[in-house]
Amino acid sequence: MKHSFVDRYAALDSPIHILEARTKLIGFVSLIIAVLFVPAEREFTFFAYFFLTAALMGISQIPLGFIVSRAVMMLPFVLLAGVGFLWRDPADAAGIYTLFLRSSLCLILLILLTNTTRFSELLHGLRKLRCPPILVLNLAFLYRYLFVITEEVMRMRQARECRRTGRAPVVEELRVLGSMLGAVLLRSFERAERMYQAMHSRGFSGGFPVLAPRRFSWRDLTFVAVIALFIVLSFSDINISRLTL
Amino acid sequence: MHIPDGFISTPFALAMDGLSGAAILYAARRVGRDLADRLIPLMGVLSAFVFAAQLLNFPVLGGTSGHLVGGALLGILLGPMAALLTMATVVIAQALILQDGGLIALGANIFNIGAVTSLSGYLVFRLLAGEQPGGQLLAVSAFVAGWLSTIISASCCALELAFSGPIPLRVAFPAMSGYYALIGLVEGGLTAGALTFLSHSRPDLIKGRIYAKMEARDWIGVLAFVALPIVLLIMGGSSRLPDPLQRLLRLSLDSAPGGHAAYGAALSSGLLIRVGASMALILVVIAAYRWIRRRAGR
Repeated sequence: MKHSFVDRYAALDSPIHILEARTKLIGFVSLIIAVLFVPAEREFTFFAYFFLTAALMGISQIPLGFIVSRAVMMLPFVLLAGVGFLWRDPADAAGIYTLFLRSSLCLILLILLTNTTRFSELLHGLRKLRCPPILVLNLAFLYRYLFVITEEVMRMRQARECRRTGRAPVVEELRVLGSMLGAVLLRSFERAERMYQAMHSRGFSGGFPVLAPRRFSWRDLTFVAVIALFIVLSFSDINISRLTL
Repeated sequence: MHIPDGFISTPFALAMDGLSGAAILYAARRVGRDLADRLIPLMGVLSAFVFAAQLLNFPVLGGTSGHLVGGALLGILLGPMAALLTMATVVIAQALILQDGGLIALGANIFNIGAVTSLSGYLVFRLLAGEQPGGQLLAVSAFVAGWLSTIISASCCALELAFSGPIPLRVAFPAMSGYYALIGLVEGGLTAGALTFLSHSRPDLIKGRIYAKMEARDWIGVLAFVALPIVLLIMGGSSRLPDPLQRLLRLSLDSAPGGHAAYGAALSSGLLIRVGASMALILVVIAAYRWIRRRAGR
């Protein structure tokens, strides 16, 4: 069974991958917020952010095709917004251009953040940033059992595909699918009961010990400083074009 | 239904982040007080289950397909508090693992997909099935709960997109509510099927429902949690709000006595072009979507 949809490029070794998780969380989240706050008429600032994102993309060594295939998620909303703008004044049409630029920049930044960091490190960073422990624990369990339950679902789907011929009426199909989900749900419940007993007998105290492989270093300091400088420059009234030229 | 970043106004998105964060903290404290260590593995495994169950697609129309959202199912089984936590975990993981939905829009997505579905699913099921559900009644109430929860959640999403985002209400609302009324049938069927299966094999899980206890102050918290976004939308969107409302009023006034002619003429002038352009855009985007999906080999 193949499930490479998680963490496919998180194990690379680029200068962004080796940063600490907290640094990346804070850096990328503040970049996303900054992009969201750029006023629509300041086109040059948008292009500055676009070049920064492109540079980060290049440094991170994540293939462009992968990022494009992930960006497909946005298309239904693009469709809705596009149809919506058709029904408005033609004067508003300029707005749709900045809207797409803005949200695709945010999406690429999010893709970069999550694909340069292993999920366990991301959780460790979240815990250190004082996320509620029960939520982080839930995410850890989700990640741990995602593959187990996914394999159960895939095995069951394979078994159904092997045994049926043709298509049943819609209601019958739905009933079968519902029963399959019920069966997986039941197994999940029973698995949780076993896990509870196992955790209890091993002295569970509300958290997992985590190895922290990366420490805050001068690289992290540089990364944060560069991003902070960039955001400050882009929002001050100093003209960036004059500085860079 | 996962809203990407940039499609709702940033202050509203940040306010929803704060609101959903507060709701998660409240639910975590509330759950932690009762049954924390027994519930922790259960919530974790069930969030993995919801995540994995979305792999079981059910073809609906053309290239689109529906799958289990799971909010109503979890709301019925675990009660709104634990279901809110579990669904919030799922939505966060979908943003972090699949980049489904934006990071700053996470609060709004948790509200739409996690909170609204589990709350409305739980409420509808309680109202229809009562305390000791079973048999045909169980299946029918679960179906209605799943169906309604999907529609309500899609309508919330459409309202947010309209009043705080770029998409006009008359496009967003019919498109989203209509489409999800169809998808919701799948959700309802799957919820009913799964619950019926559980009631046959482990009736204690449904009859007992030890987790789903709600107190009076929980209901007050829930009420505040649902009312606040509406207040936010009305306050934040007050500069936009009068516009579509006024236009609607004017339209209804115009079309009332003898205004049909002017109304019809205004509509028909650009209507054909717009409908044609909308259809062409839809076709182009669907074609692009399928092409990219095929190239990505998923």
